[in-house]
Amino acid sequence: MLLTQIALNALALGSAYALVAIGFVLVLNATTAVNFAHGEGVVAGGFAAVALAILLPPDIPIPGLLLLPGVLLVTALLGLAIGALAYLPIRKRPPISVFVSTIAVGIIIANGLNATFGAAPRTAPPLIGVGTIEFLGASLSRQSLAIIGITAVLMSGLAMVLQRTQLGRQFRACAQDPEMARALGIRLTRITMISFALGTAFAGAAGLLLAHQFFISPSDGGTLILKAYIAVVIGGWGSLRGAAAGAMLIAFFEVGVATFSSQPLAEGLLYIAVLLVLFFRPQGLFGEPQQVRV
Amino acid sequence: MNARTSMSVAGGAALTIYALFFASSYDQRILTLSGIYVILVLGYQFIFGHAGALSLAQGAFFGVGAYTTGILGSKFGADFLLTFPLSIVVAATLAALVSLPVLRLKTHYFALATLALSQLLLLVAINWEPVTGGANGLPGVPPVTILDWKLTRGLPLLTFVWAIVGMAMVIAHMQMRAGRVAAFTVMRETPLAAPSFGIDSGMLRLRAFLLSAAFGGAAGALFVHTNRVVSPETLGFGVMITCLTMTVVGGRFGILGAVIGALLLTHLPEWFRGFDEYYLVAVGILLLAAVVFAPEGIVALIAPAKAPHENDKPSLHTQSKRASATKPSRLALEAIDLAKSYGGVRALDGVTLSFGPGEIVGVIGPNGAGKTTLANVLTGLTPVDQGTIRLGGRDITNTPAHIIARMGLARTFQTPQLPNALTVRDLVETTQRAHGMSPAADEALDLLTIRSIADARCDTLPHGLRRQVEIARAIATNPGILVLDEPAAGLSPDEQDEIAAICISLSASGMAILLIDHNIEFLSPCVSRLICMEAGRVIADGASDETLTNPDVRNAYFGVISS
Repeated sequence: MLLTQIALNALALGSAYALVAIGFVLVLNATTAVNFAHGEGVVAGGFAAVALAILLPPDIPIPGLLLLPGVLLVTALLGLAIGALAYLPIRKRPPISVFVSTIAVGIIIANGLNATFGAAPRTAPPLIGVGTIEFLGASLSRQSLAIIGITAVLMSGLAMVLQRTQLGRQFRACAQDPEMARALGIRLTRITMISFALGTAFAGAAGLLLAHQFFISPSDGGTLILKAYIAVVIGGWGSLRGAAAGAMLIAFFEVGVATFSSQPLAEGLLYIAVLLVLFFRPQGLFGEPQQVRV
Repeated sequence: MNARTSMSVAGGAALTIYALFFASSYDQRILTLSGIYVILVLGYQFIFGHAGALSLAQGAFFGVGAYTTGILGSKFGADFLLTFPLSIVVAATLAALVSLPVLRLKTHYFALATLALSQLLLLVAINWEPVTGGANGLPGVPPVTILDWKLTRGLPLLTFVWAIVGMAMVIAHMQMRAGRVAAFTVMRETPLAAPSFGIDSGMLRLRAFLLSAAFGGAAGALFVHTNRVVSPETLGFGVMITCLTMTVVGGRFGILGAVIGALLLTHLPEWFRGFDEYYLVAVGILLLAAVVFAPEGIVALIAPAKAPHENDKPSLHTQSKRASATKPSRLALEAIDLAKSYGGVRALDGVTLSFGPGEIVGVIGPNGAGKTTLANVLTGLTPVDQGTIRLGGRDITNTPAHIIARMGLARTFQTPQLPNALTVRDLVETTQRAHGMSPAADEALDLLTIRSIADARCDTLPHGLRRQVEIARAIATNPGILVLDEPAAGLSPDEQDEIAAICISLSASGMAILLIDHNIEFLSPCVSRLICMEAGRVIADGASDETLTNPDVRNAYFGVISS
């Protein structure tokens, strides 16, 4: 019984992490650069939920769910701003520049939120109410179920767009070879900006999903980007499915270790694990898609 | 005196007068902190600036130095003369331990690994309470005490810290002599080709990483002496961000950049007092603005850097004949049964060939035949799956590329590999230095008749000249073996003739040349033998006419001609 609940919690946490990691990869594939402000995108989503919650009338059974479109919109706009300020002006420079410029944006967002809302952890409203649902003798947390459900919907939506639409084909073309895609007439800048919007909106959604149970504070971005980053390294650099799988793995590892010992130990072991992975597989767990030729 | 030096002297004097006569004790504290950050940033410049690697562990090395001094000082009252060197050693040792797995990683993995390492150390500091004092840290770190002499805060500590800053500057300056700066530039801008220039990239990166750690450890140690407590904040990401911002805003290279960055960022909180809690937002905006508008830092805006070669040339032109006295060493290259696969593609499938002094051997073959893979394998850039390569009778199979290069095997690349920021002369001389020769570019440049562009930056050159620079760079080390990968591609017929003539004269002096190309008209007049490859195999090896009339070769190019 207990095990079912732990597994459900891990699955919910993994779902939220997967949204973060997928958003990270969306930007990565369009820009071949790491968006280090992505963790702050999650935090911004959480605080958008906290702020927008004030507008909701009291006693709504599904407050969090109603906030989702608003959070997606706010963080998508934030993503556009990140792309326009920290990527487009320096797109021709080495990737390391984008790394640093997005670190700068992360500082701005984190400290802006800190100055506005204060450093204390805040909580967003529950998605579809609190408490548990009894199912086949197991009591399942409503929040966890809602997280998994919302993630499933968002991911299916993304898969649909990528597989079935012209925009999705352009996305995939840019991910494989941005220069070639541009030569074929795809408007790379447009795709890049949409990637920033979509990627950050996914991060923002994860912020809303996480902010009820785990609270959110302005300084959380660092840990979140680190986990997304690790998930992407585990799952294969640039792979969307891999990122989701890596995120799940991290969540189950964290919840598993934390259940039997402590949270810091879980975190520490995770970092040791990633160092070991990089030691034995310097090209990442599943290798990188393309090789540079001389 | 150039602008940068005179400005430094004037600024230094003004700052000294301010510190001695006008600064309050609070101002003196800020200046002390500035000095500490100068050391941290000087260290970070090695790895982030010169090596071009985004290390996110600089804050961790700072913290490790801080905790070494903090723990030894507060628990055992240990002397500065013990704790300070130890803080440096512990930080550098940590860097050495992680360097093996971490330093070979590509950009984004290197950043992740160094970040994970930092987070791990922070967790240890917070959770290992008996030793580190946990989240509260350890109070009661003694002031700097040398034997019985206690340094009080204020002017004495300020002077002492800046004396150490001075030493750090001297060390940084000595470590980054112009020649080594150029070697770092080559490694940073043409990372894949640098080993073929004889540059030991691994060693350079290790040196940069260890130096950055040692400087970080020293800064951390001084920091806890200033604060008298050590807490997890010294290991936090905040220190890393501060250091990164100072380096990017001030400048990634040079002492002046480090000083400007550190002074500016430590004084900003005072100047931005009106911003209150939004102060750090302003720091973020400053960092972003620096990346976008001043990628080389403030230092480049107020005092543009000299061209790197001006730093070190005591009478190069007069000593230019020294290196040229040596004839190319006579070497033979022998490859036996080489195999190399990429996934399911057999790029090389049992290739055997050999050539020796005075020979020019041409290699032709359709696209994808494995010609470039052959060049990469022979020069050690790509490890083989199977087979043996001998250079002058010595087995060099899977020997690191920079060692093979130094043994006398030089090569050029299909796409010329020229570091943008260096001049032609610097590139050639850096390659010579990497081979342990004294720098003397003129002879090689003369041979290619490009001495007139010796002081042009590589990124200003048109395609034809880039090819010639590439060849000049390769022959400047008097190699016994020269591998040229499509040297004539994209050149005019006249330029092609020139390259052919150069090859012939080089081989006449005993050099063995492997000439990979498609262009038969270019190859035929100069090669003594012609090899044809197809699908990773040698399908013909003989005199030019023989190979060209070989039916297998005709099939490879034109498909089977049915009779």
